[in-house]
Amino acid sequence: MNKLILYFVFSLIVFNVQAQNRFFTKDAKINFNSSTSVEDIVAESNQATTLIDIDKNEIAFSVLTTSFKFRRALMEEHFNENYMESVKFPKAKFNGKIISPIEWKSEKVVLVDVKGVLTMHGVSNEIILKAQIIPGKNKILAITEFKVIPEAFGISIPSAVRDKIAKEVTIKIDAAYTPYQP
Amino acid sequence: MQLTPLINHKTLNMTKRKTVQWLLWILLIGLIAAFSAIYFAFNMPRRNLANENSVYLLSAKQLISDFRNDETIATKKYLDKAITVTGEIKSIRNLDNHSIVFSLEDAMEGVSCTIDSADIVTYASKLLHYKTGSRGTFKGRCSGMLMDIQVINCVPVQGN
Repeated sequence: MNKLILYFVFSLIVFNVQAQNRFFTKDAKINFNSSTSVEDIVAESNQATTLIDIDKNEIAFSVLTTSFKFRRALMEEHFNENYMESVKFPKAKFNGKIISPIEWKSEKVVLVDVKGVLTMHGVSNEIILKAQIIPGKNKILAITEFKVIPEAFGISIPSAVRDKIAKEVTIKIDAAYTPYQP
Repeated sequence: MQLTPLINHKTLNMTKRKTVQWLLWILLIGLIAAFSAIYFAFNMPRRNLANENSVYLLSAKQLISDFRNDETIATKKYLDKAITVTGEIKSIRNLDNHSIVFSLEDAMEGVSCTIDSADIVTYASKLLHYKTGSRGTFKGRCSGMLMDIQVINCVPVQGN
């Protein structure tokens, strides 16, 4: 009986430890910015899902492309129908690994390199991005900013509007992770 | 409107002048039409789900099982369509942009219905009845599945 209780307590501890290894949020903020002399196009989604595994130093991130909000409804329509083809490719994803050293217990701001694969519009490209991470016991904050070239992801932009859309689109992500309890 | 001074009177007889005048008027009207079409397209209103009829009316459980069974088929079926879903509210949370998310059937992997911040005041009295544990019905636009199935631009539907 004692053994059983011990085993039960032990398994609880193990479970608890395991649960704390993964942090996640469903409310990560992602925005992108394409600014040219002709037009500034800004869009934001507050509903990206992202997970950090602090044992494996892995990060997964995904967002539904139709959840981006633009200033104008017409921009939103063009973005989903002409460029991202959201019906065919409803998600944009990133799966990566932190390749710089990181001490998760430190609670100090660290600048890390994250190497991974970004998939959008059905095309995957390997990228390395810089992220700023603030580890914590019950909360991890992460922000990143990187640039993507639409054409690298098979997004063709008609020449008539090419000068309205930046050659490189800046993407910013801001996420506050909490322990993942499945 | 004086459009005629643009044309040299001496070289044109009356009929020619009339034709040119007509052409200029047509051109002007055409231009106004084109500009207003561009203007309205550019400033076209957002979809207001309150004015749309739902293509699908179903329980949150049904929507979840459709997506779990085959995400590709479900995405094709529901993406960007106006749908009305009903289910038990498991969690209510506020986003940084002041939108409110109601999770139906499961806080993690259920159906997340988002009410835009701009619509909260409009529906405040209805939303008061939507508490954790109660049943909620939302009409919105399905934007697909991550962990949860997301329904955005939601409006609360009465008579749940």
